[in-house]
Amino acid sequence: MTISRQVWLGLIAFLAASISLPSIGSGQWLSILTSTSCFVIAITGVAFLYARLGMVSLGQVALMGVGGWVMLRMNHAYLLPFELNLMVAVVVTMVFGWILALPALRMRGLYLALITLMAAGGLEVIFATFRFPNGGEGFWGVMPSVAAPFRRPEIAQSDSAYLRYLITFVALGFAIIRLHLSSAPGRAWAMIRRSEAAALASGVNVTYYKAWGFGLSGALAGLAGAFLAGSLGLLDASTFRASESILLFALAVVGGVRYWYGVVIAALLLRVLPALFNNWSLDPDLALIIFGAALMHSIITAPQGIAGQLNDLLAKLRGKHD
Amino acid sequence: MKTITYYFSLVASILLALPAVAQAAPECGAKTGIKATGSPIKVGGIHGNAAPGDFSSATDAASAYFDCVNENGGINGRPIQYLVENDQWNPELAAQAAAKLIEDENVVAMVGNGSFVEMSVNAPTYKENGIMAMASACAVSECFESSNIVSTNQGPLASSIGAAMYAVEELNAQNISCIGLAIPSVGNWSCGAVESYMTSKGLTGSSVLLNPAAPDVNSGLLEAVASGADSILVNLPAGLGIAFLGAAQEQDLAAVYSWTSSTPLYDMSVPAALGEYWDGKIFVSAELTSLDGQGIDNLNWKAVMDAYADENDPRDTFSQSGYLSAKIFVETLLSMDAEQLDDRNAVSDSIKAINDKRSDLMCGPYYVGEADRHMPNHAGIVVVNKNGNFEVVRDCFEYEGPYFEPLFSTEKALGLR
Amino acid sequence: MKRFLPLLWLVLAALAVFILVAGKTPFRISGLFLVSGLAVGALYSLGGIGLVVLYRATGVLNLANGAIGALGVMVAWQLGHWGVAPSLTWLAALVLATMVSLIFGRLIAPGLAHRDPVVKTVATLGYALVVLGITAFIWEDDVRKFSLPTDQMAAIILDLRFTVTRMIVIGTAIFIVIVIWLYLDRTRVGLQMRSLANDRQLAALIGIRIVRVETIAWGISGVIAGFTGLMFGDLVRLEPFVITFMVIPSIAAAICGKLESLVGVLVGGFTMGIIESLLTLSPTLKSIRPVAPFVIAAIALFLMQGGRPLVFARD
Repeated sequence: MTISRQVWLGLIAFLAASISLPSIGSGQWLSILTSTSCFVIAITGVAFLYARLGMVSLGQVALMGVGGWVMLRMNHAYLLPFELNLMVAVVVTMVFGWILALPALRMRGLYLALITLMAAGGLEVIFATFRFPNGGEGFWGVMPSVAAPFRRPEIAQSDSAYLRYLITFVALGFAIIRLHLSSAPGRAWAMIRRSEAAALASGVNVTYYKAWGFGLSGALAGLAGAFLAGSLGLLDASTFRASESILLFALAVVGGVRYWYGVVIAALLLRVLPALFNNWSLDPDLALIIFGAALMHSIITAPQGIAGQLNDLLAKLRGKHD
Repeated sequence: MKTITYYFSLVASILLALPAVAQAAPECGAKTGIKATGSPIKVGGIHGNAAPGDFSSATDAASAYFDCVNENGGINGRPIQYLVENDQWNPELAAQAAAKLIEDENVVAMVGNGSFVEMSVNAPTYKENGIMAMASACAVSECFESSNIVSTNQGPLASSIGAAMYAVEELNAQNISCIGLAIPSVGNWSCGAVESYMTSKGLTGSSVLLNPAAPDVNSGLLEAVASGADSILVNLPAGLGIAFLGAAQEQDLAAVYSWTSSTPLYDMSVPAALGEYWDGKIFVSAELTSLDGQGIDNLNWKAVMDAYADENDPRDTFSQSGYLSAKIFVETLLSMDAEQLDDRNAVSDSIKAINDKRSDLMCGPYYVGEADRHMPNHAGIVVVNKNGNFEVVRDCFEYEGPYFEPLFSTEKALGLR
Repeated sequence: MKRFLPLLWLVLAALAVFILVAGKTPFRISGLFLVSGLAVGALYSLGGIGLVVLYRATGVLNLANGAIGALGVMVAWQLGHWGVAPSLTWLAALVLATMVSLIFGRLIAPGLAHRDPVVKTVATLGYALVVLGITAFIWEDDVRKFSLPTDQMAAIILDLRFTVTRMIVIGTAIFIVIVIWLYLDRTRVGLQMRSLANDRQLAALIGIRIVRVETIAWGISGVIAGFTGLMFGDLVRLEPFVITFMVIPSIAAAICGKLESLVGVLVGGFTMGIIESLLTLSPTLKSIRPVAPFVIAAIALFLMQGGRPLVFARD
């Protein structure tokens, strides 16, 4: 599919989603879709980083945790509006991502993946030890009792309004990345992906653009985590384990990292499939087996993921090659 | 000759069948023996069933009891439709489960809840929607310190204090080291209360908090050793508790300290997992009465499980707890006006009005009341692991300590003391 | 000797932490923590060694090592539960782990041989999920304990009771390091393995029997993974999820050896264990001491850059 076709498809999907999904009428599915949308934002960050820069981040969920943490702390510490807390969360997570990325920017391939994995492991311990703010005192803001209330955006108090608000930000996330891709950073990234040496030789500041990419990925993680905090009103450390970060990357690859619908598919696999399994009383360990098999299959035979295979199918049906 | 053999075997088979007949008659609800066929009353339940632990036995037992009630006339002829969700220890799934049950299915109450995360996530939701949760397997402080959740089990705080009391009164402990999980609403909360209790007795108490995911329990053990304690209180989930005691076994510390534990180690697979080394050494403060008890409710629980539950459903403390929650809930519904059974607010008011329900499964009376904290179960027994099984060493005793003062004043107001 | 110099920082770090944190505590007590840390560190080292051995021979960082070990030890426990003789259960665990490792190595890995190292690692991740899913599915969550006869035998070192099992872990880790070092450096097959890892296609061109060499490599890796699983099951916890994700601190130890020096992994693992254990004596840091392996690994990555862009050997 050409770029403009993708954009059109995206716009139509966004309009359809923001009209139909929030009015779905089921409390449970509203909750599932809200959580899925948060993860769409997070997976977008990982997907573009891998597709356009070849950088693997195995710590995205941990960064989501950082964003969620800041959001909750801001909410309970001051009386600022949701949007302001959101911006603070995004900026802090972006800076945090930069700090983590500093050693990684001059490394390539496996070492970058490993350092993000180490970060995920370390953050898992920190979240498990200090938990998430729930209105208590002190820097960590934790009290051993029921959480203090969370202030959602003025225009999005109810669950369905919140979902609509969130879907708008999902579209915004995609739009920001599309904007990047069609301007200077995107071109620099494409060169770096092709060959770092050639990029250096042509005068592209490789470290700068890699940092930009990582920062954007971190910002998106922070955005996702902050919205997740808002949807539940509190967060638990078990959501942000290192194994979750690994699973997120795995499913991003399975879904297809080059296309926005690949990201959506990945989020559906990550959050909707387990919910369905739960509904149908199937053992959640079966989901693990399916994901693992899908990942291996995707890596070996379908590098563009499910989205890529859908693309090929559509192209075949239309009888021409894009 | 043949006739004598015939009559002999007839009499023998009748005599042998008698115990089976005596066992197989569970009594539930209105005990009418007629199947309920009216429009169902919807009740919800949430359990956590995924690594690191399975709390589903509570909802299994409640489900079995509700099935039995439905076979015995239901509630004024209406069956109970029990909808159970699994939160898999995931807070998002817990919130989704609550949304499904409360908003989509419009349940009138939650019964038999058992999870590590569900209560902390959903307590505000329950309050907002005016629904009461009669939980059975609680492990976090939010469960006991929230207005809309009340549990038949004790939780780590009460159970640890029971263990500490036994250590001080029977095992001569002067300095207890409480080993707990490094989760503020679990370990810090319960071990902190143990420390306050020790201080109130003029003795010393300290905490060692373990990170649940850390592979190294050794340094936690050494921390306890270095604290100068003479008694160690293991306040950990069963798997981690066994690992901790394994590390202690490596250091041959069984005789050096006196060992007590809160309720998670009161599980039938534990004595075998601990092995001979620990025989007769671990004193566990159980939150309900003995699994082998001969009281009416305990025997009825076994009968209900045998008749209506799956063979593989565990018959453990949480199962007893789930049965008890379900039983008290059904008694409450039976005492209500038939027209109000679908009104969530009316059901919640009736639940809050529960007062002085006694059972041989619980050491004290069960009550709810209008309050911002509920912990009706704060008295228990102590058992010791012996010969691959557990033996009761101390019968029902009430726990003391600064934590329970507010509860005692509520009970005075309700006329329970 | 000179190439062991970079490892000096690890030893110095451990010493620094010891002085800072345990300076005021009598050695009688701090010694306990030191020895305990050594015991835990040995586990990290063992896991890391398993990863690096396979990595040096095939260029694949096998994230499924933990899962394979977990499956092995669960089978050993189950057979023991059914009354099979203990030594047979251990043998079964090792054989099964080797077979599971070979399934990946012979059927799946060759199809990825030309892809970059990250992709190969991600594929092992998929395999880890499948094996973990199967293990968790077969054995329901329950309280289990796996013990070895060597748990009963012990020696007293510095007032701490050191079981023979822990000594076996340390001994085996050192033994494997020596044997593999000799194997890769001195034997023909070892040389073939190293050239295979360097460039598979060139190795095939010069006539190395790739399939045979890879089979040996994955087989050895499987045996080590199975052994590691048995040790984790005995000394940590007999829970498939826990054992599977012990691969993350194992990777931390592997990073200390730059994914190539086994001695580095050994020293790195021990240092991590010691520092993590010693931090218990620090009132401020004791609650986050499990973070120690990850911080050390991050510092190791930092230092090993040496100011120039770190080009990964097989990039």
